[in-house]
Order: sequence, then C-alpha cells, then structure tokens
Amino acid sequence: MRSIALLTSCLIALSSLCAAELNLTQSLSSKQILPANFKPPQVFKNVNLVRTTNLDKEYPREVINVIIENIDSKPQSEYYLPFESSLLSRVGGLEVKDKKAAGKLPFKVEVVEYDSYSSTQFYLIHLPEPLQPKAQQTLSISFSVLSALTPVPATINQMDNQYVQYTFSAYSPSAYTTEKQKTKVKFPTANIPDYSVLDAPNADNTEDPQKQGSTFTYGPYANIPAGAEELVSARYEFTKPLTHATLLERDIEVSHWGGNLATEERFWLTNRAATLANQFSRVSWQMTQYSNPPTSALKGLAMPLRIGSLNPYFIDDIGNVSTSRFRSNAREANLELKPRYPIFGGWKYSFRVGWDADLKNYLRKLKTGDTYVLKVPFLEGPRQPEGVEYARVELKIVLPEGATNIHHETSVPLVASEATIHRTFMDTIGRSTLHLTAINLVDEWRDRDIVVTYDYPWTAGFRKPIVIFSALMGLFTVVYVIGSFDVSIGKKKTA
Amino acid sequence: MATSPVDPLLKQLTGPNTRSLLRVIILLTIAAAAVSSRLFSVIRFESIIHEFDPWFNFRATKYLVQNGFYSFWDWFDDRTWHPLGRVTGGTLYPGLMVTSGIIYHVLRFLTFPVDIRNICVLLAPGFSGLTAFATYLLTNEMVTSPSAGLLAAAFMGITPGYISRSVAGSYDNEAIAIFLLVFTFFLWIKAVKLGSVFWGALTALFYGYMVSAWGGYVFITNLLPLHAFVLICMGRYSPRLYVSYTSWYALGTLASMQIPFVGFLPIRSSEHMSALGVFGLLQIVGFVEFVRNQLPSRQFQTLLRALVLVIFAVSFGGLVLLTVSGVIAPWTGRFYSLWDTGYAKIHIPIIASVSEHQPTAWPAFFFDLSMMIWLFPAGVYMCFRKLTDEQVFIVIYAVLASYFAGVMVRLMLTLTPIVCVASAIAFSQILDTYMSIDSPTPEVQANGTPASASVAAASAMLPDGLRSTRNPIVGIYSYTSKLTVVAASTVYLMLFVMHCTWVTSNAYSSPSVVLASRLPDGSQHIIDDYREAYYWLRQNTPENAKIMSWWDYGYQIGGMADRPTLVDNNTWNNTHIATVGKAMSSREEVSYPIMRQHEVDYVLVVFGGLLGYSGDDINKFLWMVRIAEGIWPDEVKERNFFTARGEYRVDDEATPTMKNSLMYKMSYYNYNALFPAGQAQDRVRNTRLPAEGPQLTTIEEAFTSENWIIRIYKVKDLDNFGRDHGSAVAFDKGNKKKRAHKRKGARTLRVE
Repeated sequence: MRSIALLTSCLIALSSLCAAELNLTQSLSSKQILPANFKPPQVFKNVNLVRTTNLDKEYPREVINVIIENIDSKPQSEYYLPFESSLLSRVGGLEVKDKKAAGKLPFKVEVVEYDSYSSTQFYLIHLPEPLQPKAQQTLSISFSVLSALTPVPATINQMDNQYVQYTFSAYSPSAYTTEKQKTKVKFPTANIPDYSVLDAPNADNTEDPQKQGSTFTYGPYANIPAGAEELVSARYEFTKPLTHATLLERDIEVSHWGGNLATEERFWLTNRAATLANQFSRVSWQMTQYSNPPTSALKGLAMPLRIGSLNPYFIDDIGNVSTSRFRSNAREANLELKPRYPIFGGWKYSFRVGWDADLKNYLRKLKTGDTYVLKVPFLEGPRQPEGVEYARVELKIVLPEGATNIHHETSVPLVASEATIHRTFMDTIGRSTLHLTAINLVDEWRDRDIVVTYDYPWTAGFRKPIVIFSALMGLFTVVYVIGSFDVSIGKKKTA
Repeated sequence: MATSPVDPLLKQLTGPNTRSLLRVIILLTIAAAAVSSRLFSVIRFESIIHEFDPWFNFRATKYLVQNGFYSFWDWFDDRTWHPLGRVTGGTLYPGLMVTSGIIYHVLRFLTFPVDIRNICVLLAPGFSGLTAFATYLLTNEMVTSPSAGLLAAAFMGITPGYISRSVAGSYDNEAIAIFLLVFTFFLWIKAVKLGSVFWGALTALFYGYMVSAWGGYVFITNLLPLHAFVLICMGRYSPRLYVSYTSWYALGTLASMQIPFVGFLPIRSSEHMSALGVFGLLQIVGFVEFVRNQLPSRQFQTLLRALVLVIFAVSFGGLVLLTVSGVIAPWTGRFYSLWDTGYAKIHIPIIASVSEHQPTAWPAFFFDLSMMIWLFPAGVYMCFRKLTDEQVFIVIYAVLASYFAGVMVRLMLTLTPIVCVASAIAFSQILDTYMSIDSPTPEVQANGTPASASVAAASAMLPDGLRSTRNPIVGIYSYTSKLTVVAASTVYLMLFVMHCTWVTSNAYSSPSVVLASRLPDGSQHIIDDYREAYYWLRQNTPENAKIMSWWDYGYQIGGMADRPTLVDNNTWNNTHIATVGKAMSSREEVSYPIMRQHEVDYVLVVFGGLLGYSGDDINKFLWMVRIAEGIWPDEVKERNFFTARGEYRVDDEATPTMKNSLMYKMSYYNYNALFPAGQAQDRVRNTRLPAEGPQLTTIEEAFTSENWIIRIYKVKDLDNFGRDHGSAVAFDKGNKKKRAHKRKGARTLRVE
C-alpha cells in the first residue's frame, strides 16, 4: 500500500474543497428520511460487477455494470448505492438502466436523506418491477464526478505540462456483498508517472493493476464485503483546462407575437487547472501562439447552436467582447467565443451569450384546443474536447403572458422547480415562468430536451394591444379634462 | 382641377394650424437628425460609455439606482483616493445622475426591461434633440422671421461644436447642461419681455437644475446680471426687468444653494458677487425710479443719481474689503486661467495637463463651427440694427462667449448656441430676402414694404446723380440673382451638413476605450486592450486590491475594473496625485516604500510602444514629473529627465534618472524579448531601445494585454528572509553577493 496517509490527506483536502459546495446540495432533499442508524437491508448481492472509469474528459465518467440477485425471500425493488458524503455532492447525472433493455426509460433514482454526519450517503434506485427471489437483473449505472481531478503539482509554469491526480476506491462502492468485480480505468494518455500498486494480489494472482496501454485494470477481486474501500490514485498528464462553471443561468423566452425564441446564457467560469507558479508572461504566451502547444489555459469556447439560430451576442460585465465569430449556414450554426484573456488555472471569467431562433422549430400547437408544446434543449453551452462541468444550472423558461396549465417533463434530474411570474414590456398580469434547477451537470447533457406544455387561448394575445390602447386613451382623456379647467388667477380678459 | 396637397403650402394659403403642424414636423425631423447623427459610435462599436469622466458618472448613476437617492446624497466613496476616500455625494453635480435615475425608474415602472447603461449612453443624444428645440424657442424670441428659429434648431442639432460633447456614450454633465443653458436663456428672455414673475420663477427653476448639473452654471450667473446691468446702463430700466431679475435671483440663488457641492458659494465666492451686486443695484434703481415718478424735480434727480453712484461705490468697496479679509472666497485658479492663459502652466500644472484646458487653436473654430463662424458676426451685426432688450443679450453673450472659447478649448461649447442663433438670424435674412418669388412691383412698392420704404426715404436725401437713387424702387427683380444667391446658400448649407457629418464621424465618435483599426482585407479590427486588462483585474484580483495608476485612468478602473484606486480624474487632492507622480518618476528603492505605505497591490501603466499608440504614459510622463516636482522640488527634478542637450529620450542616450524611473522600467520591462536581440523598437517615439532591457526587483509583471497597451505589475510582498528585494532577486539569479565592506567595529551586545 503506497502512502495511504498521503492519499487520505489528499482526500481530506478534496472534501474540504467541496465543503463549500455542499451547501448547494441541501436542496437535494427527498421525501424519504432514514434513521441515523440505517443500514441497507442485505437483500441483494452483486453477482458480477464491472466498473469502467473513463478519464478522457476533465470529469471522470463511471459506468458500473452489475448483475444483482435477490437473496431475500420476498420480492425486492429498492437497491441502495452508497457514496462517500463528500463525493455525493459532486456526483452528477446518475442514471440507472436495465442493461438488457437499453432503450427503456431510466429507473427512478433519488438521494435519500440521512444523518448528515455520516460519512456514507445513499442513492436509492427503484427497480420498476420488484425482483423476485433468486432472480437476477443487470443494471447499468452511469454517472460522472465533478471537480474530481486535482492538479499535482498545484502550481506549474506557464508552458509546462499539467498532471492531475484522480483518487478513487479500487473496490466499487456497494451496499451489498460483491462476488466478483473489477475496475477498468481508461486514461487519455500513456504518460502516467505515478499510480497506486496494490500489494495484495487479486483473484487472478497477477500484478494489480494490470496495464494495457493507457488502460489499467484493478481486480478482479472476489467476495468483497459491503462497504469495503481501497483507495488508490493515479497521476497522469492532462494538459488541458479544467473548465468549471460554478453557475449557469439560462433564460429562454417564448414570444408568440414575434415568433421568436430568445435564449440567453450567463456563465460564471473558472479554470480548476494548476495555477501559474510565476505571473502571466505575455511574451512567452505570444511566442507559443504560432506553434499552439497544449496548455492548461482556456483559450476559446466553441458553442454549436441549433441550426437556424441567429443574432448571437457575446458580452460581459463591461460590454461587448469583439473576439467572437459566428458561422451560420444550412448545416451548422457555430458560435466561437474567445474570452478577453486566456484563462489560466485559478482565473475566472464570467460572460453572457444570447441568440434568437425561429419559434416554429421549437413550438407545436396541438390539433385540439389551445395547447402548445414547447421542446427546447435543457442545456446548450460550449462543447469542448476536454468537457465542461456545471456545478449548478438554473433554467428559466418565460412563457407568453396568459399561458396557463403548465407542465414540464425532462430526463435531466432536477433539484428544484417552481413557477413564478415575470413582468416585462408593459405586462399587466405578467408572464408565467418556470424556474428549474439542476446540479452537477456536464456538457454531455447538451442533447437532453425539456418539453413544456401549456394552454394559451388566442384572446390572451390581444391583451397587450388593448391595454396599451386603453391606457393611452385614458391618458389623453385626463390631459384633455385637466386642460379644459380654468385655473387662471384674476379676471378673464374679454377678447 | 384637383389641387395637390402641397399647393396650399406653396401659395401661402395655409392657416396657422397647418403651419404649426408643419413646424412641429420640421422640429421633430431636426430632433431625429440630431439624435441619429450622434449614434455613429453605437453603430460602429457598441453601446458603451466613452472616455474617462463619463465612467465616473456612469458608476455614480449605478450607485444611485441601486442604493436610492438618500444614500447617494450621503455617499462616501472609500474605493477612490485610497486611503483618503472621497465624499462623493457632496462633491459632484448630481443633476445628470438624478436625471438618468428618474428616466430609469419611469421606464421600470412601465415595465420596460431597460439597462441603466443604455439610458446613460443615449441620454446625451436625447437631450440634444431637446437642445435643438430650446434653440428654436430662443431664436424665435429674437426675430420675427419664423424660419430663423428652425434654421437655428437645425444648426444646433448638427454642429460639431456641440456634438463633440454629446455623442452617444459621452455621458458627461454637458450632455444635459447645454440644453439647460439654452432653455434657461430662453426663459430669461421671455421673462424680460413679459416682466412676468411666472417666467422669472421658471428661469430660476431651470437655473437650479442647471446648477445641479454642471459647474458651468457660473456662466449664467454672470451673464444674466451683465445683461441686466447693461440694460440699466443703457437707460432701459423697466419694471419688467426688475420683476424678472429679482424673481430669478431670489429663487434661483435659493435653488442653487440646495446642491451640497455649491452650498453657500452663491453668497461667499467672488464668481457669484456680480449677481448679488446687480440685484442690489436694481433695488436702488427701482427705488430711484419710484421716487422720480413721485417727485419730478430735476435737482432731486441729480441728487439721487449721485446717491446711486455713492451706494454703488460703497458696496463695491465693501465687496473688495470682504474679499481681501477672506469672508468672500477669492477667485479660484481656474478663474484666473481664464484671463491669463499662461497662469495655469506656472501655478497649477494639473489643470494645464488636461488637453481640454488648453487655449483654442484657430482652426478649431472652423472645424467645430464651419460656415457659421463667418455668418455669426453678420447675425450679431443685425442685432445691433434694432437692439431690442433681447438683442442686447445676444450681443453680450456673443462677445463674452467668443472670448472664453478662445481661451479654453472646452468653452467652445458655450459659444456654440449663440453662434447657431446669430448665424441663423443672418442666414434666414438672406433666405427671406431672396426666396420670395414675387418681384417687388411699383404698385407693391407704393403700398410700402418697410424695407423699400425706408430706402425710398433715404434716397430722398441723396443727390440724383446715382443711378440707384434715380430709380427709387430698390428690390430684387431678377430671377437670376435670386436663383444664384439661393443656390449658393443651398450649396453652403449642404457643405455645412457634409462637414458636420464628416467631423462627427471621424473626430468625435471614437469611444477611446476601444480602438479601431483596419485589417488588410478592409474589415474592422477592434483593439480592446483596455477592457481586456480591466476585466482581468475585475475577475482575477481580490475585491479590495488597490490599483495605482496615473490619474487619467482612475475613473475607468473604478468603473470597469471595480477596484479601489489611489487617484482619479476628480483631481481634488494635488498632493496625493503628486505622490503617485513621485512613485512613478523615482527609483524603485524610493517608490517601493511609497507603494507599501499606500497599500498598493497592483500598478497599471499604459504603454503604446508596440502599437504606436501615442497617448501612453511615457508621453504623459513629464506631467507626472512636473506635478511631483511641485511638491518635492528637492527629490524630483524635471531637468534630470532631459539629456544634456535638452532632449526627452528613451533610447540608449536616456538619462540615468529616466532609465531608473519606475515608469520607464514598467513600460519597457521584458519588451525587447519580443524582438531579435538589439532590435527593440518603440513605435511611438520611433527610436531603437537599449539592447538590455530594464530589470525590476520590487514589482513583478502580472498581466500584459494583447497589444501591450496596458501592463499591470504586482507589488511584491516583503521578502521572507528580510532581505531587500534587490539582493533577493540577485540571489535568485545566482549572482554572487557583493559583500559590502563593512567596517568591523567592536562587537556590541544587541539590546532589543
């Protein structure tokens, strides 16, 4: 076991890093509250478990394929998945599917509330059909972990390669006994100067981990008890920015009159990469601009928009950023953004982008009644080769004034949703607005849509012209009446 | 036969309603032209606040909108003039910010999601439309010709002299002040004509608004009394004058004292004394007039006249005495520099260092006023012909403003309205004379148009020898001459429009925060270094990091980077500015303690050497040196920055003082790394720089913008080992420590 003390200290540092973000996740509440001494009932066992960790991007993507078996006498439908509490606040987009029926909808998953001092927290997976005793089912659990990579060393020179460290448990976290398991780690590079080597031989009696190019395999291990943990870590080259959006506010405004769908996104970006050991040097930055070597600085963002998007803008707190380019034709609508300065590790950049689109590509009117169906992407934002992670996404959908009976549906896990009123441009009763909040998303979720249905009677569209007209008429009447008063002092001169 | 809709207009058959409708349409068109010609910069660049002072006004407006009126009034700003702070609420003219704040809240009340920045950017063009209207009203009071007012409004709308301070984004006090100036004058003329308390009170109201908006209100404060005084001297005292002046003075002074920045100045400073004096004089004259009407005795009148003179002399003497004894503040330096253009350069270099305080070069008059500069005297001359009360005003205004505009570039702004009015009077006279289609026939002449009748009367006295006097009918008959003159005038007007548009587009529409250049393929390339660096500061430095820079950039740093500054464009503390100047112009060993004492975290310099941007800090450096020398003549000497032959150089032959100054080092640090060895070139000064660049020990480069225009340095913390920074840097480089030859005295016990 290599320097477990170092690893734990790393872990402590990591967890303290995430302590600030823990507050954000308080809203991850659910209906079910567990007693403090809760232990998942041992009704399942994992027959075979294969975990794949993909480190291509700046956020590790984990896929756990596990064959579970009901060892209880009754049918069971609640499968618990444990996470270390500091990790839980950074796990995003957890989805569980039946491996055998990949096309089906994902299972219902929730975070169960638990003693907040416990170091282990649970996700509760509801199997759609209770698993009969002795029956088996193959689950495919996928999720990504945000803020998981730590640059080591934490400060580098401007043109140095960056190495990041990822710490994880060689045993896949499980609340149940696992008969057989292994963990595959796919690195983006073969340049891995440091990694943990486990002393205890694995089930095959070979060296642990086994290396195959840039893929490492920890395991297989036999009969690992529930909750067992074996921390390992690896340090590998990753000279790319670790783009982290602490907050993304995304507004979508539907205008029936204008036939327009206006989108605005406000980003608060930071680069989690290694900070500069010395200060930023423009000379060396300018010298390398021609050779374009890999760098941990974020130089630009590419935002592929839906085809047909138009009038894009890219501004920040002090005005327009002139270094953007928009390529739009029948096949693509790419918005290429270049921040005002290269964003090095520890630097921040906040900005907003927005664009318009033709509403008829997103909105459909049902044949019957005044019901409309709006289908828009839940997340757009940049698509980077190394990925972008979002700690918190707040989506606001502003529907036209007078829309009622609003329902929404999305496959993105939400932590909060509320309906409010938004007043703008001489509204009288205000526009119905949906506020949806999701946390820990990554740019892979760009393709997920949100579907909103609402009723919008045609009379509602005439509310505003009538209001403006009557307001102006009222104003003229008042002016006329006031003007016809005689308020002059003294006698009136007879002309 | 169907009559076309234009017919009644051409045949002058229109009723007053149609004409006023037409006039409204023309005025609206003029206002639209005035607004749209100011939008060049918005269209070319973006909706952005320009230059330097507007950034402060913008920041103050944001503060007002966010924190409400009362906290704005009591605003103590600890993010400027660190560590002194500034009582901002009491040292600014709040009119501009309050105006935009009101507009903002009204629009918000009507639920328009308008950004305060857009209100600030578009405020000046919006008010220029109102200024055109106010000029129309003012001119209409002067002459009977209805076309003069419209012409004056059109001139005012597009003349570069006014556009220079009112393009979109130029969010400065002048944006609303010129409208208020012209409108106050209109109300004053109206009040004098009618002798009405109502108009006098309105004058006071707008005068109060003007005081809240611009320091140039003193111009009104002195011009109105001067007008009244001249009228009295001309023997034109009337109850109308008495009523209008006293109601204006009493109410207006009260209104002006409500502004904290003005406070008791109206009764304590010399600039305001003429208004008070004329007020007193009017009381005496009014009294005398009253008595004279009651007692028509000739001797009594003489006595009274003597009394008037004595009282005047006594009160003037008292004024002088109060001034000398210090009860009334003496004239300020800025005021002296109005009479002696060399005054500021000697006594207050900080005023002289501002380019808009320089005397005006004569081409500037043609540049800003174009053809109006030669029409203007003609208009003033025409006022002399009749010289009614209001035309006296024009004459006085013209004379005073012409003088001031010659002294200070900035005051061209106050000259512009009167130039527009006067030249519109002259021009409309030409057009009225030559544009009438009917020729004067003898019958018409017999009926007697006033002009030809007087000519006929004049010709009666002249001998018959002259051909023009033989034939008493004088008029313009020939269509050729009519056409020629009208065509020439039209050409002049068109040239004027073209000139105005050209000047506006080329000279006055650059935001100066953003620079534009052309790429080889003709497309526009924007050089955005200022905002790049400011945004970097805003995002990547601690909230309270103190930035030291020359005062020019103080407002921009406050507005765009949102960081505390040491000095800014509100140059209220000369010593503090001199401190920064000293830090910039001294050696690092001297500057470092200064920067530590002022808790400076970052130093920002502007360097144009790579791009050839001439407005950089090295070119402003001598002003820093001069201002610092004014306070520390022993430590900073301007002479040391010049070579023996008196040249200001930055190359190999630069003086050691120059090369060791912090500003020089910061500007050229690491610059030669961009070039092959020994080839470093400064494109502003067009010189080759020394082969070896300067070395920095106490500060380190933190950020340099893309085109090197802004360079930001971080002030190093104290060395961990207690060394001075010079030896620490030398140690890091591996240089052998130079052992100082210490005298080895007897070892003593340290007692601490």
